[in-house]
Amino acid sequence: MKPNHHLDDATMLSYSAGALPTALAIVASAHLERCAVCRAHLLDADRIGGLLVHHQRVDAPVESARAAMLALLDAEPATEQQMPVADVVAAHDPDRLPDALHPWFGNSLRALRWRRVAPGVQRIQAGGVSGGDLMLLRIAPGSKLPLHSHGGSELTLILDGAYDDVLGHFGPGDVADLDGEVLHQPVTSPGVPCICVAATDAPLKFSGWLARMLQPLVGF
Amino acid sequence: MNEPASDALYWSTLVAAVSARRDRASFMRIYDHFAPRLQRYLRNLGVPESMADELVQEALLTLWRKADQFDPARASLATWVYRVARNLYIDQVRREPHWLPIQEGLDKLDQAESDRLDSEPESLFDHGTLKQAIDRLPPVQAKLVRMCYLESKSHSEISAELDMPLGSVKSSLRRAFAKLQGSIGGRR
Repeated sequence: MKPNHHLDDATMLSYSAGALPTALAIVASAHLERCAVCRAHLLDADRIGGLLVHHQRVDAPVESARAAMLALLDAEPATEQQMPVADVVAAHDPDRLPDALHPWFGNSLRALRWRRVAPGVQRIQAGGVSGGDLMLLRIAPGSKLPLHSHGGSELTLILDGAYDDVLGHFGPGDVADLDGEVLHQPVTSPGVPCICVAATDAPLKFSGWLARMLQPLVGF
Repeated sequence: MNEPASDALYWSTLVAAVSARRDRASFMRIYDHFAPRLQRYLRNLGVPESMADELVQEALLTLWRKADQFDPARASLATWVYRVARNLYIDQVRREPHWLPIQEGLDKLDQAESDRLDSEPESLFDHGTLKQAIDRLPPVQAKLVRMCYLESKSHSEISAELDMPLGSVKSSLRRAFAKLQGSIGGRR
């Protein structure tokens, strides 16, 4: 499964800089787990960060701090600790949610407890995300969502099923990293429900496009 | 800055000495270069001085402990140290407990991949070219890149601070990244 739709370069720079709001960073991490192309881009972004830090003009190190560092080395064991051998990467299990989502939604797609918010739309809201809003959405196959654009920054990763819009076909592993200006009308594919994880950087709940979309349906 | 600093081979030789012989002199040469830079980086991100001191020590202690995991074919020392310091900042200053395990997971995936594939060794990539490309960015793009990395500002914070539309912030950063990536071989 190789994703066809990737993280935007501006999102990648912010992720590398540790400047992406938490909810967006969680969805970006989940995509990175499944996308070697984006991991390679992330390395490029980290190289830029490394170089910027490397080339800062600074004074000589403080002598007392050097001494403190040497004292810390004295306290270290003489031989290097044996690091555990890296886990073998498990074969892809379609039921397993990306690791980045486990703290918020558990690890199994089947075990999720959905809540119906509109006809054909179910949702699970993550609690306790400090920066932004994070939710899972399950949209019935063959649904046409209302035409909408996005306000602030929003990031959506497809976990199962698929949808089509003006930007193309989005299947499992694909991420929609949309500018505020894009106006689109996703249509979910027939067959299985489209399950995705969506993040916004909006400080208030339901202030993004999803809210406007669901507002007339459920009257938030 | 001392000239050997731009030489990836120089740094990887020092790390190899730390890994193979627990060589303190080599370690302290790494320390002398990176500690003040990490200190400055963290202070610019708004980390209080004493906490920044601690994080710098912790970042370099990580290097001492995990020197055997440093692979110059995957990342230069500057990149590696940057990742460690950035991760500590997100873990301990921004207090996001899930960030570190996720980054370790991504790292393992990359490790498994570079074992499988013949990946492009970073030690062969020229830091000088990237540095030149950064220096040649148009002033606005350079400013945005710095606000992003050295002040850790989000797109919307940058947009508010510079009174620049969010879309323009993103497109400028995108153009800057494309140019910088082009200078390191361009992957897309």
